[in-house]
Amino acid sequence: MSKLPVESVEIIERFGPTLAYAQGARVDTGVEPDKIVKTHCCFCGQQCGIQLKVLDNEVIGFEPWYEFPFNQGKLCPKGVKRYLQGAHPDRLLTALERNPSAEAGFSPIAYSDAIRRVASEIERIQSTYGRDAFAILSGASLTTEKTYLMGKFAHMCLRTSNIDYNGRLCMVSAAAANKKAFGIDRAASPWSDIIGAEVVWVSGSNVAECSPITSDYIWQAREHGAKIVVVDPRITPIARTANVYLPVKPGRDVILFNGILNLMIERDWLDHDFIENYTVGFEALAESVQEWTPARTAQATGIAERAIRQAAELWGTAKTSFLVHARGLEHHSHGVQNVLGAINIVLASGRIGRPNCGYGTITGQGNGQGGREHGQKADQLPGGRDLGNPQHRAEIAAVWGMSPDDLPMPGVDAYEIFRKIDRGEIKGLLSISFNPLVSLPDNSFIRAQLEKLEFYTAIDFFLNETAYHADIVLPGSLHEEDEGTVTQVEGRVIKINKAIECPGDARQDWIIIQDIAAALKREKGFTFHNPEAIFDELRRASAGGIADYSGITYEKLETQMGVFWPCPSEDHPGTPRLFERESWNPVAKGSGPFYFPDGKARFNIAAYTPPAEEPDEAYPLYLTTGRVVSHYLSGTQTRRIGPLVDQYPEPRLEMHPNLAEKLGVQTGDMVTAESRRGNITLPVSVVRTIRPDTVFVPYHWAGRKSINQLTISAQDPISKIPEYKVCAVRVYKAQNGEQPPAPPVR
Amino acid sequence: MPKPERYEFFIDISRCIGCQACVQACSECDTHKGVSMIQLDYVDRSVSTQTVPVVCMHCDSPTCAEVCPADAIKRTGDGVVQTARKPRCIACNNCVLACPFGVPKMHNEMNLMMKCDMCYDRTSVGLKPMCASVCPSQALFYGTREEIERLRPSSHPINTFQFGQQMITTKVNMMVPNEPHVRLIDIAMSMEQAPVPQLLSDDPLMANLYEEQ
Amino acid sequence: MQREVTFAGICGFIATLVLAVLILIGSRNLAHFDAALVAYTASILFATFGLTYRYTMWLQRPPTAIYWKRGWQTFLNRKYLRKNAINWLRHVTEDMALNRFIFERSRMRGLTHFLIMWGCIIAISITFPLVFGWLHFESVPGEMDTYQAYVFGFPTFTFASGSIFGFLIFHGLVWSAFITISGVMLAMRRRMREEGAAALQLFVEDFLPLILLFAVSITGLMLTASYTWLKGYAYDFIAILHAITVIITFLWLPFGKFFHIFQRPAQIGVRFYKYVGEREEPAICRRCNTPFTSLMHVHDLITTEKQLGYNYEMPGTSVEHYQWICPRCRRAMLALAQGQLWQRQLGGETPALIAYTPTTPSYVNPGIGEGPLGHEDAKNFHP
Repeated sequence: MSKLPVESVEIIERFGPTLAYAQGARVDTGVEPDKIVKTHCCFCGQQCGIQLKVLDNEVIGFEPWYEFPFNQGKLCPKGVKRYLQGAHPDRLLTALERNPSAEAGFSPIAYSDAIRRVASEIERIQSTYGRDAFAILSGASLTTEKTYLMGKFAHMCLRTSNIDYNGRLCMVSAAAANKKAFGIDRAASPWSDIIGAEVVWVSGSNVAECSPITSDYIWQAREHGAKIVVVDPRITPIARTANVYLPVKPGRDVILFNGILNLMIERDWLDHDFIENYTVGFEALAESVQEWTPARTAQATGIAERAIRQAAELWGTAKTSFLVHARGLEHHSHGVQNVLGAINIVLASGRIGRPNCGYGTITGQGNGQGGREHGQKADQLPGGRDLGNPQHRAEIAAVWGMSPDDLPMPGVDAYEIFRKIDRGEIKGLLSISFNPLVSLPDNSFIRAQLEKLEFYTAIDFFLNETAYHADIVLPGSLHEEDEGTVTQVEGRVIKINKAIECPGDARQDWIIIQDIAAALKREKGFTFHNPEAIFDELRRASAGGIADYSGITYEKLETQMGVFWPCPSEDHPGTPRLFERESWNPVAKGSGPFYFPDGKARFNIAAYTPPAEEPDEAYPLYLTTGRVVSHYLSGTQTRRIGPLVDQYPEPRLEMHPNLAEKLGVQTGDMVTAESRRGNITLPVSVVRTIRPDTVFVPYHWAGRKSINQLTISAQDPISKIPEYKVCAVRVYKAQNGEQPPAPPVR
Repeated sequence: MPKPERYEFFIDISRCIGCQACVQACSECDTHKGVSMIQLDYVDRSVSTQTVPVVCMHCDSPTCAEVCPADAIKRTGDGVVQTARKPRCIACNNCVLACPFGVPKMHNEMNLMMKCDMCYDRTSVGLKPMCASVCPSQALFYGTREEIERLRPSSHPINTFQFGQQMITTKVNMMVPNEPHVRLIDIAMSMEQAPVPQLLSDDPLMANLYEEQ
Repeated sequence: MQREVTFAGICGFIATLVLAVLILIGSRNLAHFDAALVAYTASILFATFGLTYRYTMWLQRPPTAIYWKRGWQTFLNRKYLRKNAINWLRHVTEDMALNRFIFERSRMRGLTHFLIMWGCIIAISITFPLVFGWLHFESVPGEMDTYQAYVFGFPTFTFASGSIFGFLIFHGLVWSAFITISGVMLAMRRRMREEGAAALQLFVEDFLPLILLFAVSITGLMLTASYTWLKGYAYDFIAILHAITVIITFLWLPFGKFFHIFQRPAQIGVRFYKYVGEREEPAICRRCNTPFTSLMHVHDLITTEKQLGYNYEMPGTSVEHYQWICPRCRRAMLALAQGQLWQRQLGGETPALIAYTPTTPSYVNPGIGEGPLGHEDAKNFHP
């Protein structure tokens, strides 16, 4: 049913990616904008403040927003060119219906007809196969209001268990580990605490490319005397001038942390007072890390022992410190354990919950933080509550005006949804702001499942590659076409402001969802008139929860330029730094700073299990994947912005000269990388900045340029995050006649 | 409106992360919209991720202007060496080859050299230049001396450079660490230096790899 | 300095004298010279002196002098003479007549300049010969409606006064005024609305020339209007006004923006310099061992810099002179030198000078050709 209606090249011909460059009013220096709108960049979890210049319902440029405290005007190249995503030739202006006889495989249909069709298909599939046979895949680039509404739509309107979101591919390992260790899932400290830290430890985070603004915080710390430790299989730009650089073998981070902790114990670099008064579980953990002697750690992590000792000493003897990590730790089949390992060395040092100290995960998606708090995760209800918890169910059911018994039980993660399609348990799918065909691992499996669906509808502003398979495409809204809130990397809730109206038949996503609910004749609870009304309900729903937004109002967001949650009452200023010693929280109720009934943080034994797939004779190399600075996620937006594509037009494979010599290749040559699941042919870049046993390819591209053809769908048993960061491949010089991937269209 | 004197440009190349925000933002400035004038190179990508952003240093005695056969390059009263006057520039390339910092860019099709003019439309009315506004690592910084002293206690600005026997002083400042104390940057000392990460000897990756006994 | 001034003064004097003699000859000892136009002639003679003086001064500046000399040398180089001659034609057409390089900057700018330039050229090619008495018309005896054109005193073509050709010829100045005014309007519009232009423009440098051209054109049109439709109303007044605007413009020629008209052809000389340079021996960067420009250009620049008092010598090194390092390596060396200081401060060792062979630094942005400039750069740095 959902096979591609026509050849993908024909779809590309009509729907892009077309490269947009500045022209017309956007290069005319003689026009005065109608207005300048203070809002935020849509790309990445740092959510830099930016001012958009608007003329005739078109965003024509930007002006730095110097006053916004987080970035003070700074922007990465994506932020600079973000304005080019609007008024784009590829923009979906009508609803589309799959039509194999149409030239590009889709024909426009009336919006109301499209909504009716979606509703009737939902009705049909749910009545034929059961409510859970219709699944929803949502996104973490949506505003928190929309993510809240998506969760409510699934749980209350469709009453399906099966909703999950693409944050599943992002920070869930950190989220799970944070909940296990602290009882709350949020960066523990604001970034301003980085500046005064004596040691800044960066693990598995290419800060320079994935969260560029954070570099300034790190360099500021360096200016104030901080030592920098960077753990990464590649010498990233931030690692280049680190005091200690640890070239860890992919998949071994937890060993490194255990080894460091072992050294901390051995040398007594511990905060005994903190461990005793504010934590539980240290003895068991201490015992578990004994096996990781420096020599064994060195051998297992592939890092010289001298360097490990150096790092341990810096970390152990520091008076203040800040540890950040990102997907490098999290994208593993033991991602939660990696993060727990990191948290353990932070807790053992006692350097959390006070000035110039801290810990945080760097969120990757635009609303990576807010998007994982309010009910679009498979097992979650608003306010960070659990769908499986009877008390939480009752609380939310009361807000929604329904019986707790009518709420579905927790569903499955995003990848498992596709496995369920494979097993025939799910027949229909609605996706919004999610492009799994590019972003999920082993994506030929994903393609096969899309083809099995009886009905698939996608909501997006551009026709992303997954939406090629859709029966109905609904034209959603761009970031600048709607207002709402997001929560950025530090846990600061901020306000997104609307700059322009949706063009053509396109609608704000929350209107589309409410229209579907209305067409299903289940509009109860879906009659909001604006995002603020959704936010007000969200505030009530989150009240008393851990992610408590109840004291945050739109007005307060504007005047304070963001409010850190938890913010339990309107006179509460927000909570930039968690776990301050005397702080109160609704779980501990005064017994301690952490979010457990006894107020104490938990040390968790962080057990090492090898990656799901280790190199062997047939596939002797590690493949690790990641981002580049000029692209965002699956590239649906950034692959359409000319200057960003020029900056990094095609995926390249990075390898060390020692390996290149063995393979007889040099920079620019075409190589084929092959795993048990697929292969890719792409140009090679020979650099001495990567481990000789590892190759790296960024993931933003689709089709034959997608490295996720090769990655493995192994997942963390707790967080269900896929193991993007390590699988086994072999690489060889591309055979004669093997064509390089076709150049980008236009 | 006169340019507020107190704002100055400060560069710390060692901070650069090569993200190209400056390159992208440069083309958003009104005096040269659509054209990026800033230079951003890899020193040697096969060896290191080191990148070098170069804006015009605005020399007190600009070699580019003096070697220009067409008098196309002018220095304003406030010390900004401007991009080539369009009617005059004859695209001879003298400035490109003579600039000790390698700043000017030649656009042959237009028969025109264009170079960083410190976003004159912005700085002349007290706004920050585009590149320094957006620079995520603040390798490019525009602000007051008080600010830079407060934000960067480990380094200080200097504006003297030595190229062979020629000393050049500039309006734009370069940040150098406080220790060891230097008065100027002697470019010759980097003649044969490899662009390896600076804090570690030789090859930091290979040096820190575990070696099987 | 005194020597240069004297030389320039002599050149200016000679040029002025030559023009005066030509006026005498061309007007057959002033037989065809209109005495009413004597003020015009005087201002042109003054402009000729000023322009020649300034041009000569300009040519004596070290960088210009060397280009002047090399431009001719490369043009007349036997090996390339034939090709140069062809290229000369091409450049004169494309650069000078069609302003292609300005259209490359922006279509609107190209159009603006094209209109102003051709408006002025047409006007000058009509008025100068008339003023100098180099061109005059006489009706052919016996044929009242037919005119004979005399150029430099020699009879040339004839035409009927009522013909379209005649109409076009007699109203040539009207057309040129319209063309100039539309160009001036476009230029004014750009200067008044664009932020970028606003930041850089100066009244004397950028607005005054436009105002002068506008004044000349509009007073000229008023003259036509006066005698065509208004029976010569206020003709004398307008004529004086027109004369004043024209004379001021001529007097202004050597000083302001208009001087670029005389400087600009130098770009053709530059083209030959580059063309020949590209085909002769290249200069090799003494850091990255890559050719980056012509050997001739580096030698010339070293000479020029010395003449200007710069001292980029690097005695005792293999580089010898800083000019032997390509611009990309200069940028890289700046980074390396500054980075080295940081390295020392943060306690690292100076990287051992292990067998590292510096390579040409590369643009970070690989997308457009090789970088933000891409193809442009390839043209600057050859092969």
